[in-house]
Formats: sequence, structure tokens, C-alpha cells
Amino acid sequence: MKKQIAFFVDTRRCIGCFTCAMACKNQYHQPSGVKWRDVHPMSEEIYPHRECAHLTLACNHCEKPTCLEVCPVVAYYKRDEDGVVVHEQEKCIGCGNCIRSCPYGAPKYNPALKKAEKCSFCWQRLDADREPACVQACPTRALQMVDLSNFDEPDTVQYIAGFPRFTKLNPSIRFRPPRQPLEIRRK
Amino acid sequence: MPERNYDMVKKALNCPVTRRQVLKSLVAAGVLVAVPGGLMRAATSSDKINYDEIFYEGPYETFRNACPRNCYDTCSIVTYVKDGAVQFVEGAPESTFTDGGLCVKGNSYWNTTYSPDRVKYPMLQESRGSGNWKRISWDEALDRIAKKILEIKDKDGSLLGLALSKYSGNFGITNYGVEGMMSSLGYTTRFVGTPCWPAGIDAQNYDMGNMWCNDPEDFAKSKYIILWGVNPAWCSVHSMKYLFDAQDKGAKVLAIDPVFTQTSAKADEYWQVKTGEDGALALGMARHLLDKNMVDREFVNTHSVGFNEFEEYLKNEITVEWAAEKSGIPAAVIASTAEEFATAKPATIWIGYGLQRHVNGGVTVRSIDALVAMTGNVGKEGGGARYGHLQTWGFNYHALVQKQPKGSKGFSGTTGPKGEFAPELEETKFSDRTLNINKTARGLLEADNPPIRMLWVSCKNPVSQDFDLNLMKKAFKKPEMVVVVEKFFTQTAELADILLPVTTNLEEWTVNASYWHYWLGLNEQAVKPLYESKSNIEIAAALSQKMNELSPGSCTFPTEIDTKEWMIKEFNKGIYDLFGLKSWEDLKKGPHKAKLTSTAAWHDHKFATPSGKYEFLSELAAKHGHNALPKYKANRKPYAPLRLLTPHSKFNIHSQFQNLDWMHDFNPEPYVYVHPKTAADKGIAEGDRVLVFSKVGEVKVKAKLTDNVPRDALLMYEAWYNKNNFNVQNVVDDESSDMGKYKTGAPGVAIHDQFADVKKA
Repeated sequence: MKKQIAFFVDTRRCIGCFTCAMACKNQYHQPSGVKWRDVHPMSEEIYPHRECAHLTLACNHCEKPTCLEVCPVVAYYKRDEDGVVVHEQEKCIGCGNCIRSCPYGAPKYNPALKKAEKCSFCWQRLDADREPACVQACPTRALQMVDLSNFDEPDTVQYIAGFPRFTKLNPSIRFRPPRQPLEIRRK
Repeated sequence: MPERNYDMVKKALNCPVTRRQVLKSLVAAGVLVAVPGGLMRAATSSDKINYDEIFYEGPYETFRNACPRNCYDTCSIVTYVKDGAVQFVEGAPESTFTDGGLCVKGNSYWNTTYSPDRVKYPMLQESRGSGNWKRISWDEALDRIAKKILEIKDKDGSLLGLALSKYSGNFGITNYGVEGMMSSLGYTTRFVGTPCWPAGIDAQNYDMGNMWCNDPEDFAKSKYIILWGVNPAWCSVHSMKYLFDAQDKGAKVLAIDPVFTQTSAKADEYWQVKTGEDGALALGMARHLLDKNMVDREFVNTHSVGFNEFEEYLKNEITVEWAAEKSGIPAAVIASTAEEFATAKPATIWIGYGLQRHVNGGVTVRSIDALVAMTGNVGKEGGGARYGHLQTWGFNYHALVQKQPKGSKGFSGTTGPKGEFAPELEETKFSDRTLNINKTARGLLEADNPPIRMLWVSCKNPVSQDFDLNLMKKAFKKPEMVVVVEKFFTQTAELADILLPVTTNLEEWTVNASYWHYWLGLNEQAVKPLYESKSNIEIAAALSQKMNELSPGSCTFPTEIDTKEWMIKEFNKGIYDLFGLKSWEDLKKGPHKAKLTSTAAWHDHKFATPSGKYEFLSELAAKHGHNALPKYKANRKPYAPLRLLTPHSKFNIHSQFQNLDWMHDFNPEPYVYVHPKTAADKGIAEGDRVLVFSKVGEVKVKAKLTDNVPRDALLMYEAWYNKNNFNVQNVVDDESSDMGKYKTGAPGVAIHDQFADVKKA
């Protein structure tokens, strides 16, 4: 398999602290309301304690990205060397095709620039030998960058409960499901 | 700066533009004046900078910063600067504690510094609370302030009518220059004590002679960890990796909390203790260990006093069944866990600050200390009764220690202000007048002879964060002048006459230590102060200049200071030796950790108590009006049907950070969390607007239903939302906790012994 970098979200270690999401704003200064990464509490049907287990999600840098297929001006490309899906904002005409088509909601509309934008996997940082801002910032090493061509962490899944299953896109993301403590509650 | 630039800045900062455009405009307006080195060149070629595309593109100039908030983690920061402007921040990789990452708050420092909402210039409010602000010059602001101070001195013959309200908004050591400024004017009135952790400080002082915790990095050596009333997943995110590492190595983690927290979800076991009955639980465990003969007799015989008396008390008055009844945790569970805890070597308890914010909080901490001590875990690596420490705070406090002008008159009677961070001061003929910080509203209203005529507020936001907001608002009407030093137009700023703009931590020189870990970090001036902001010590110097201009000799504070020089003046040989530094400049290469002979506090079992041993029985405690033994003390009597808990959120430190637009992106509004059955009883559904009300006041807020909170409690996270008048202080009072006066000068506040009711709004 070719090198494909991906986000690995270990929800056992994730504490839902939003550091990753804020680290993205710290790096890119998106305007209010524009978030390339966000932290989503799992629904109580999936994890019974409200807002105590989370999925941190950004662009999944899919093997077959919809955004790339639907863009009329070829503002997207997938990097050969690591599979990162790059959006070239200067080419973007703000038509919104990618925003409407991505089932994971990764591309966002920047109302100030009237263009789309999304998680870049911090490819400029990668090229400067640095981890993506969100991965670097994670205080529990719950969010990691991995290479799927040699990823063999145990107890992991591609489609965790609550994460939409779009097998044709083959999203480059892996999860480790959360655990629950033994509870002693008052009567 | 020429006037047209102000206009440009104003335009840049008040228009709804992108953050990127803000930076571009600031560069164009010349606001981002050059910092050292080659940046001058970059700044002058700003027309070539494309700020519509911000991404990682070296090289950057980097600066060392530290997070000065009142937080366990006190992170070491690397600030990346380009073109005279901060581009982004990161955690310092050299600190194994910060480990290269900050938290959600630390990652928003760019937004703090370049927020369009900052207080930019000295401001005058025509009528307090009117919102009728006008910009004034520093000269006019200081002239008004200095004349008022001189008028007070003239009228009263002393400056006791001038009061200072300050606490933990900025823990950078040079910020103690605010207290120094007050001393340099004369003997004044100080609000002393701390709303944070004083009952537990006293408790640990009675038991061990000081508050001293193990290095948190040694959690990984523990075999059994109890997280008791502490939520590090929100309040000390950098400690979590050590807890996970301990779990990975087979340690058991038990979380005890009235609320099922994010930390509880990460534990192996969670106990929903009845709020405020933690002491009963600890005593029940202790009793069971006696019955099972599982006490570490070697430790108690050799290194403690009073264990026989404690043993007698437990045998006569405590049973496991009684503890189960009080705490809500089944007797069998208490018994088996006590055995597991005593068997695991080493075992440790992290004692949170929440569980001592009760009328029985100090004695609760003493009970838990006793459990750790009798199992022989005090003084062990990976063990310990962990609460906090001040081992790394041995600075000179040069900014703090200033002399009163000759002939100053003050208060005679006591020995002046105390504080957990302040060094003991020499006794003099006169002293400052001290009032309880946790009853600031009452102090402002009731202090007399002289009354408080002028209030100076810095590093504190009492109108947002102190108890009984209605009373506080009334109290803020009383002084003849209120001066507030702030970054933002907070609720306290709204009640100021004069508002002075202060620097952020990226704009000033200082140095920062932690009360939890053992790292020391430098805080360099990464960028020049924006607008007309000044650091606290620069404000003090400017005030001194004005005072001496109007009345020579009326203020001893230096009139010209170099903030970097003042940072250097805080260092001494003790600090250098402790951290293995040749000079403060070593910290430019990164934060340094104290050279510890052991990761364990009290590793030599030489305690700082009067007996030199661990004191299960403390005569000093008895002398101070408490029980000599950690005897059970009843909780506060309920005065409303539901308990009200108002703990910390992960999105803010008290009133800081939640006001930022970046934070608003992730946490737009407050809620009250209600148990589904309680909600059903009251006819409340998810998302309903409800009224939380108590004898003190009321709050309107949306409800979220969850069994994370117990059935008999309501929970709201304290915060200042700048676009929402939500404030939990509307519904809590200023009841004191049992301890705190011994080491901090005033008892703590029982902020978790509060009661309220809820109904549909």
C-alpha cells in the first residue's frame, strides 16, 4: 500500500478538551464560526455519560475524495507522497460544491473570503518536519498522525459508532473506542 | 503614534473583518512596531505579506512565554513571531510536563492579544455603570487618581481608605508589584486570603507542617490512585498522560466525585459520593484498616504523633456502616477498597480543591491526609497526599516589597497582610488594614474609620467572580473612586470610574512557577504592548511619577523601571541552585525543572510541624479553634431543596478566555445541568429556559438533562460570557469554610455548600 497519512483518534485517551480544535485556530486564525476541526460529544445511545466521550474530527483525507471529484475548477489535489488532500484557495470560486458533497462536512465556507477552506493536514508543517498543529497540541497523545500503510494498532476501527460509513470514499481515519468505568452510585 | 494610525487601528479592530485582515491592518498601521533583530526589515516590507493565507512558513523568531493563569499546569509556551506580530503559540517541548502542547485556553492567546474587545486606552466612565465611556490620556487618568489619593491622605491622615482587590488573574511574579505599589503609597487596606484553596492549605500545615506534594510526573510510579474531588481532564489536562501511563502499567484509578466528570469517565472506578461527606468516607476507610490490622505501624510509631488518640476516636465514634450511610457508598465497597488501597504500594490520593470549599472542607482534607499517612504512603515516590506546593516560589519578591513613604500612618494591631505566596513581612509600628477577600462586598460596605474611599482592582474580577453578586454591585457603589486595571470590559470594569489597559502575558517580562509541577518558565516580551497598554509595574511607576510630581515624596515606587530588569531582580541564589541555573538567561533556552533529590514530598519524613512528625493530633489546630484530631464535622444545613454546584469549566479559568470569539466558536452558551428525574418532577425538558433561584438571587439559563449530576443537585459552570449576563454568583453566598485563616489570613469560602431550586422560566 502507498503511504497514506491519517488521523488516529484514541478515544480511550481523549478527554474532549478541545485543545486540538483550538490549536487549529491558533495556527490558521480562521474567522469566527469557521472551524476546520471540531470535537463532537458521542450521543448517549453510544456512550451513556453525556459529553464524556468525544470524536475529534477534521478532514479525513479520503482515498477517493468527493471534494476533488466535484470541484469545477480543480482547486483540490491529493498529494502523491502522503495522500493529503489539498485545497488551493486561490483557485476556489466559492461555488460550494465541495461543501455540499462531502458527507463528513470537512470543507467549510469562509464568508469573509467567500471561498471554501478545510483542514490541510498542516502540509506546510509536515514539509518543515513538524507534526500537524492539532496532533502536536494534544495533551494526552489521543490524537495522532499515523501512516495507514503500516498501521497495526490493536483494538482500532475505521468506522466507530456515530461516525458515518462511506466506504467508497475510504476515509483515512482510525479510532479506538472508549471504555467505561465501574460505577458505584448513590441509591 | 500619529492620530491617523489610531483611526486605522480603530477601523481595523472594530469592523467585522477576518482575523487575518486584523493582522494585515495592524502591520499597515505600524502598530506592530519592531521587536529586536531583523524583524524591523520584515515589518517595513509589509506590502508583500499575504495575510489571507496564514500557514506554517519559517523562519520565525521565537520567544519564551509562560501561562500565568491560576492553573495547576502553568504551561511553558513558545511564541512564534513574524513581522512584529505573534503568529501562533505552542507548548514548550523542553518541559516534560507541558510536553509540547498547551490546552484549549493556552491555544487562544493570539486571540486574547489581538482581540478587538481589548481595553486599548485609559478610559473614564462619566457615571459609574452608565456605559458612558470616554477615552482619556494616561496623564489625565493618573492625575485624577493621584489627586484622589492625596485628597484621601489629607482627609484621613492615612491611606487606609485606599483598598486593593487583587488575586490570581496574573501569577507572573513581577505582578506582585501591584501590592508593592500600594505599600509605596503608604499603609492601605488589603483584601487578604484566597477564594481558592486555603482550608486545605491549613489542613496540610496542621498535619505535616506545610503544603507539599509529590512531583506529578511520578504518578506513573503509583499502583493505586484516588482522584478525590478533582477533575484533571478539565483542570490539569497535562497531568492526564501520567494517569494513563499508570493505568497502562496496571495501576487502578478511582475517581470520587459527586459529579460524573470527564475524569470519572477515564477512571477504572467511579464513586458518586454525597456532596460534602468525603470526610466521613475517609474516616470509614480508616476505621476498616484498623479492624483489619492494615495500618503501617512502622510509619505511625516512628514518624507520627497522636495516632493512638486517632485510633481511639475511630474505634469509639466511627463505623464503616456509618460512613456508608453518610457518603452513600456501600459499606462492602468502602471496606474492600480500603484494603486494596492499603495493600497497593505505593498508593496516592490527589485531593482536589473543590472538596475543601465546604464548611467542613479543612477537616475533610485532614481526614484524607490521615488515610494516606496511616497506610505509610506519605513520603513515598508514587505515593503522597497531593494537594499543591510552593517549593519553587522562593523569589525575591522585589516588586512586592516596597517601603512606605516616611511618616506614613497605618493600622496598629495586627501584623499586616498574609497570603499564601507572600513572604513574612517584618513587624512594624503600623500595618495595613486587612479584610477578608471572600467577603469583599461586606468589607467595602462595612469598613469604617476610615471607610473605603477608593478601590484599586487588578488581576481580579470580583464583580464577575465573587459571591453574592447583588451585594457586590451594591458595594461597588460605595467607594468615591474605583480604578480597574484590565484587558477587557469585564463586569468589574463596568463599575469602574477609571479603566487602565494592561498588557497580556505575551507583551511583558516576568517569570512563572507552578503550585503543582516543578518547572520554572521565563516569560519574555514577545511583542511590544499593543495600543497604550502597560504592565502592572509600569502602571505603578507611572503613578509614582505623577504622585511625586504633585507631592514630592508621596510615593516610594521607582518612577522609571525596566520591566526586564525587574524580572531579573526576582532571581536569587536559592532559585538558581534549585533549578540548576547559572543565570536567568539559561531559561531562554527553555523551562527548567527543579533538581529534586526525590520525586516524593516529605521523603526524609522530617515534617515541619511543631513535633517534627506527622501530626494525627495537632495541638496547633486545637489552639486555632479546630478539633485537634480530624474528627467528622457536619456539612452545612440545606436552605433550599437542591444542592448547587458551580465548578470550573474546561473553556475558561474563571472569567478569562470564555469571552474570546474563538472560545465562543466551541462553547457558545451556558447551561444548567439537571438530573432527568429532577427535571421531570419540575416539568423541565431538555433545552427549556429555566430559572435557578436561591435566597441570594436568580439566574435564567437553558437546561441540559444528564445523570452526570446527582438527583439532588444542580450544576452550572462558572464563567464570564461577554455577550450574555449569565453569572453563577447571582445565586451563591459568601459562607466561610472552616479553615484558611492560619496560613492565608482569612478562611476560605464554602462555595460548594450552596443550595437553590429550579423552575421553568
